[in-house]
Amino acid sequence: MQKLTAQIKDAAKKLLEEKKVDLVIGFAEGSLPLRGTPFFARTSEEADKLTWSRGCENNLANYLRKREDKVAVVAKGCDVRSIVALIKENQINRDNLYIIGVPCNGMIDRKKVNAMLGGREVLAMEENGDTVVLKGKDFSETVNITDLLHSSCQDCRYGNPVVYDELMGELLPEKGEDDFADVKEFAAKSAAERRAYLAKEFSKCIRCYACRNACPMCYCEECFVDCSQPEWIGKSAANTEDNILFQVVRVFHSAGRCADCGACERACPMGINLRLLTRKMVNDVKELFNAETGVNMDDKAALATFTANDPEPFLVKE
Amino acid sequence: MKNPYLPLPMKLVKNFTETEDKLIHTFTLQYLNEEDEKSFSYMPGQFAELCVFGKGEAPFGIASSPTEPGFLKFSVAKVGVVSTALHLMEEGTIVGVRGPLGNYYPVEEFKGKNVVIIGGGFAFTTLRSLATYMLHPERRGDYGDITVIYGARNPGLLLYKEELAAWEQSPDINLVTTIDRPVDGWNGRVGFIPAVTEEVAPSAENAYAIICGPPVMIKFTMPVLEKLGFTPKTTIMSLENRMKCGIGMCGRCNVGGKYVCKDGPVFTRAQLNQLPNEY
Amino acid sequence: MIVSKKDIPNFLDKLISEYQVFAPVKEETYTLFKQICSGADAALDAGNTKLPAKEIFFPQSEKLFSYNVSEEGARLEAPVDDQKKVIFGVRPCDAKSLTLLDNVFNNDKYQDPYYLTRRNNTIMIGIGCNSPASTCFCTSVNGGPFDTKGLDLLLVDTGDAYVVEVVSDKGREIAEKAGFAAAADANKDAAAKVKQDAVVTCQVNIDGLKAKLDVNFYDSIWEKIHEKCLGCGACTYLCPTCHCFDIVDEATDCNGCRVRNWDSCAFPLFTLHGSGHNPRTSNKERYRNRIMHKFKYFVDNFNEIACVGCGRCIKNCPVNMDIRVVLEDIRGSEARLDS
Repeated sequence: MQKLTAQIKDAAKKLLEEKKVDLVIGFAEGSLPLRGTPFFARTSEEADKLTWSRGCENNLANYLRKREDKVAVVAKGCDVRSIVALIKENQINRDNLYIIGVPCNGMIDRKKVNAMLGGREVLAMEENGDTVVLKGKDFSETVNITDLLHSSCQDCRYGNPVVYDELMGELLPEKGEDDFADVKEFAAKSAAERRAYLAKEFSKCIRCYACRNACPMCYCEECFVDCSQPEWIGKSAANTEDNILFQVVRVFHSAGRCADCGACERACPMGINLRLLTRKMVNDVKELFNAETGVNMDDKAALATFTANDPEPFLVKE
Repeated sequence: MKNPYLPLPMKLVKNFTETEDKLIHTFTLQYLNEEDEKSFSYMPGQFAELCVFGKGEAPFGIASSPTEPGFLKFSVAKVGVVSTALHLMEEGTIVGVRGPLGNYYPVEEFKGKNVVIIGGGFAFTTLRSLATYMLHPERRGDYGDITVIYGARNPGLLLYKEELAAWEQSPDINLVTTIDRPVDGWNGRVGFIPAVTEEVAPSAENAYAIICGPPVMIKFTMPVLEKLGFTPKTTIMSLENRMKCGIGMCGRCNVGGKYVCKDGPVFTRAQLNQLPNEY
Repeated sequence: MIVSKKDIPNFLDKLISEYQVFAPVKEETYTLFKQICSGADAALDAGNTKLPAKEIFFPQSEKLFSYNVSEEGARLEAPVDDQKKVIFGVRPCDAKSLTLLDNVFNNDKYQDPYYLTRRNNTIMIGIGCNSPASTCFCTSVNGGPFDTKGLDLLLVDTGDAYVVEVVSDKGREIAEKAGFAAAADANKDAAAKVKQDAVVTCQVNIDGLKAKLDVNFYDSIWEKIHEKCLGCGACTYLCPTCHCFDIVDEATDCNGCRVRNWDSCAFPLFTLHGSGHNPRTSNKERYRNRIMHKFKYFVDNFNEIACVGCGRCIKNCPVNMDIRVVLEDIRGSEARLDS
């Protein structure tokens, strides 16, 4: 990680000094243990604050849409997939973007850390190869990093950036196919069980829209939940069905566009299992269209293309 | 504890298409009970939340004057959910009115002074209330000269045309109307408000200026008023910001630390100079 | 006075027969204030709740009145919740936040009957914080882990028992009725020791912050500060002093109700005019308003900072916008004094 940090700093400084870009968007050390925070470096001195760690969890593609300036971005696998999807949607001008690709083998989920510590507060986290040391007042515990990763990172098959202008470190070994076992397990439940689970999860929703705003693909000028003429959906968080409707429509809207980066679920302050829905959609898109979001520059977005002999099994049932 | 969220039910007795483009309607509302009228005691410059049951409520300046008993009048542009519903509303329908809200034009301070009222477009509603209030026979003697400079893009977009015609004839008020571009059949002035104000050149001596209109009109008229000698303390504006509660709690209409709904909408230029420009 | 921890469920059960009792309740990975039916349901060792206690007085979604409209008139019904309540286990920061919100809902011109009726009918029993979190900075904003503002009783955790401090007459009445035993000197010493040991390690220097905010509205610092903010409402909804709301109708034809929902100054629609004009055009203006509201406007209007240092916004921000860092950055910036 220290090596990567040094490499990122050097790359950013060079780009800024040679005036190849106006801005480098990456991560600086945040204010919480092992927390990277999005950082905007415009000078070489600022670039010195850039860092890389297991806490650089945000999807920085979110800051890249419709920019006028020349920008370099420090992008891990999922960021790049979203960037690719946004380029295809003409939200990002590839010519003005310099991708500093960083192979990523997962980010630490602080919610999992907190759950593991059962209420004790972690004051410092130190990475040490495959383990991380969690330190607090009167305790120090060593834990396998794999047990603390975000579920999206555990499922991720694209830790290596699929597109980059410059690569930091070494590419990581490829992983096998995602089996979507979680989605299949949920789908196998009865309708009543599924309904009950969703009702329980979405009764927690406070409609802060952190999920929407953290999602790089949620960029509608007017989100349907905000529209008042017509008012598509109730605004009150007290109505669980409206909360579900909000998320379901959001997920439908991200069909073939969602890179399963998990930004929505990470952003949720209430700990709602949002990826259950996004992954269902990702799984469906994969099965129906054999498409994956942003895994190369050539494929058209799943819903932006068709052929005359599309089977359309969802329209016509034999 | 009085519940400030509860509207007073009133009956829509007239839904009048005010402007040629049909985008502004004037609504005349009647109290259902005599006591309600007593409880709704207001002054020119105040506003109320008009509510269409089932659609919600929105704030509008009160266009009628407290000197006109028995009804309330609002002129409303069709822009949002509530105003659209109002435009489509049949006479006889019950609506809700919550208020009066906000402060009002300092009519006590105006006593013994000349008053210059400058309005543009459909921001003439509470100015109409003010002029009507001061023109009331029992009050007219309290004030010096009353000058009204009122402009719209074209004659069809002027509000309260019948009243304007009556004011034209009245010795109690000096009315100047203007339109942006010449139109056949228009014999009044042609030109934008800032230029017309400069031509009319009302004296700032012992006078107050009250100005309401679109931001661009305000922006260019302010220097004219300054040149004429109106000071920040004798220049008065009424602000609009998005509002919901109208009682200083819901947090959206603030300009700096002041809430337009509770501490305004009427401010002197001197007060606004102390505040950021978030309006 | 003193009450043994094992007697707390029993104490709460007695209260439940007379009051609606709210206490922190465990919800998977965090706690929330909920009305409890049994004293045993209260989770008292879990630190601060995910959502602040404000939601009991100012719920996220609340019916203001229901209506039935006909040709003759409108029948309005506005039931105001006047049930007697006890909030048990509230932390001093949350208790203090309510004294701040009182300024808003009981302002110089208007009273909010929904909020105030609940406030007037509620007894607040707080528990002091023996081990403040690293994100807590209450002592920097005129509070403290054993601050009694807004409380009727304060409980100090001394291990097996709480030493009870009476703060108000209402508190005294409830403590006497419960028959709490007198605290021995040893217990009082233990409580004093606990208080002394509970150190809020995080200090945010806000000296001169207000003076800076008085003059830096147009400063370029705002261009940078908001840059990573996503513009979601997480910090505002989790904030114990944020009070913005929206009012909407939920109705079918002539029957319906008017509802108020929490709203957030972070959302563009919050200030959007019908004309399309928006006085707070971008995230920059919206974020500036949030900071200004808490650390300048509220101070100008009520002589209090609208932040109690609970740290919820710090812990929950999706991009680690840390208000402590933001305040430091503002304080350290070169404000243009001529602007």
